[in-house]
Amino acid sequence: MENIGLLIDGFGHILSWNHILLMMVGVTLGILVGVLPGLGAPNGVSLLLPLTFSMDPISAIILLSCMYWGALFGGSTTSILFNIPGEPSSVATTFDGYPMAKGGQPSRALTLAFVSAGLGALAGVVMITLLSGWVAKFALKFSSPEYFAVYFLAFASFISMGAQSPFKTLVSMMLGFALASIGMDTISGNLRLTFDIPELIKGVSFLIAVMGLFGIGELLLTSEEGLRFEGIKARVKLAEIGRTLIEIPRYWLTIARSTIIGIWMGITPAGPTAASFMSYGVARRSARDKSLFGKGDPRGIVAPETADHSAGTSALLPMLALGVPGSATAAVMMGGLMIWGLTPGPMLFTDRPDFVWGLIASMYLGNVVAVFLVIATVPLYASILRVPFSIIGPIIVAVIFSGAYQVANSVSDIFLVIGFGLLGYVFKKLDYPLAPLVLAMVLGDKAEDAFRQSMLMSGGSLNIFWSNGLVSGLMALGLVLLLSPLAFWLIGTLRRRRHDVAPHGDGNAAA
Amino acid sequence: MSENSANGVSRFAVELGVAALTGGFGAAVCYGSLDIGAGWTEMGPDAGYFPFYIGLLIVFGSLVNIVQAFLKHRGTEEIFMDAGRAKVVASFLLPLTAFGAVSAWLGLYVGTALYIAATMLFQGRYKWWIALPAGLGVSLVFFVVFEIGFQVPLLKGPVEAWFGIY
Repeated sequence: MENIGLLIDGFGHILSWNHILLMMVGVTLGILVGVLPGLGAPNGVSLLLPLTFSMDPISAIILLSCMYWGALFGGSTTSILFNIPGEPSSVATTFDGYPMAKGGQPSRALTLAFVSAGLGALAGVVMITLLSGWVAKFALKFSSPEYFAVYFLAFASFISMGAQSPFKTLVSMMLGFALASIGMDTISGNLRLTFDIPELIKGVSFLIAVMGLFGIGELLLTSEEGLRFEGIKARVKLAEIGRTLIEIPRYWLTIARSTIIGIWMGITPAGPTAASFMSYGVARRSARDKSLFGKGDPRGIVAPETADHSAGTSALLPMLALGVPGSATAAVMMGGLMIWGLTPGPMLFTDRPDFVWGLIASMYLGNVVAVFLVIATVPLYASILRVPFSIIGPIIVAVIFSGAYQVANSVSDIFLVIGFGLLGYVFKKLDYPLAPLVLAMVLGDKAEDAFRQSMLMSGGSLNIFWSNGLVSGLMALGLVLLLSPLAFWLIGTLRRRRHDVAPHGDGNAAA
Repeated sequence: MSENSANGVSRFAVELGVAALTGGFGAAVCYGSLDIGAGWTEMGPDAGYFPFYIGLLIVFGSLVNIVQAFLKHRGTEEIFMDAGRAKVVASFLLPLTAFGAVSAWLGLYVGTALYIAATMLFQGRYKWWIALPAGLGVSLVFFVVFEIGFQVPLLKGPVEAWFGIY
């Protein structure tokens, strides 16, 4: 197959000591970022991004993507050992991971998590290997209206699939679009929305927003909760790891199901967090014996971990092939691609096959490196969490400020980060989702360009979005998703009303 | 914002405040877009064309959020933040803001050293002979990693200039 040949070429591009070393650095930093409270994958990648401006794109993407894998693993570690999810996507792992570790089997819990996560990630990469060329070829047929329709679809699915109120998602997303349009207009060259404030002329970088929203905001929440780690002493026992490895094939059904959920949720922009919750829910509902769930059932660790990581890796497929990232971290990486002078999307596959296939090859290798590295270094990271927050917190703040300054060597960005931090803190407490804001900030210019070019093509008529089968289909799907919360709400209200009339007829609905 | 029986700020008030804030932002975006032209030129849509509708959507979403705040959170006694927690958050937020201000003036290396040392000294209740070297140490590590390792400069101020480091 063509893709396999390209993949082997990709391995040729990345197999050097230099790149393997970068992988290990990336994974190590990623685990650190995943373990530390207040530093998540999107934030870590944003902080590292300014340091890669001078690197060649292949090395840079290896470093950043490996940091992403590391962060996903790090998040699971704290979930299991401390009952504190280092990442939102590993919340579901705490349900059974922590009880199992507390019950005296921390090595078993960690091994289950890491290996199933590794399997999930590999499945995601295999899917990318097989599908990416095809998706990219399909996307070559796209012109501006189709692109706008794809963006519309991505954002509509956020509104419909998000756990939060659809209108809060809408506001958060549109704030992102508005922030993205501040500064120089790329088409006309006019300054807009700067309100004569000189600091706004260069625009608001999405990196600053991520550092503030996810970094400072998260730290404020952590400080409010008065974080105290009551960890479990993690001594990784080799015998227990071995025994767990033999145990894993027993969960093949859970793993397969979770992989499919994860891949689907990763390609659509629902993201790893939704995937892990959904996968946990499905595993629990379909289990014959539910009594152990929540008390340390191995399937309760395997299911969310597999889905989390397969979603995390799959999120890179739409980013590479369409230029539409499937998660906040993928959005930040896509922003990175644009800064390095690459244009994500189908043309990338023809213009820079070395980059695309180098990245895909590095995903295979990076995840394997990550599994070994994380098992080897768990005790070390567990001890980092025992350092009091009054030391760790300020150090993280200092790292974020340094990163914010490095984005554009601008002092005003430091204060902007504080502002975004406050916004993130309040938004988080009021259940406004943050990922759509980041996604909109990264995609804002591209979505607007696609829209304006479509309008130019049609002379200002919206009919261009219904001009052929492809674009109509995408738009229709987007509209269905957009209106689905309304439909569900209506159905729910109707059903409730019927129950009020006939209170005895609801035996099925309650079950 | 209304105080909820001296227990702290109610969630309802904050929901309203935030929705009003985002609505105001949306209105500002609309105004700014109209200012540069949200119509149609011979070169196609004007620069403010797209942001204008974004602004309208923000205003629309904010209005719905205000309505939902009335429906969901009014009279629920849900507290957004009480005095005790506000104090804890402020004890983290205020030094952080001071750190930003000091860094803008003295540079990030000096700011970092001072900030880490001060928080360890006053909040962590460490002795000064632990806090001070720790602050300097973190700053030094930053210097080695950023300036020497990645060769990305950080903001420097007058103190570095005295030592002749640029």
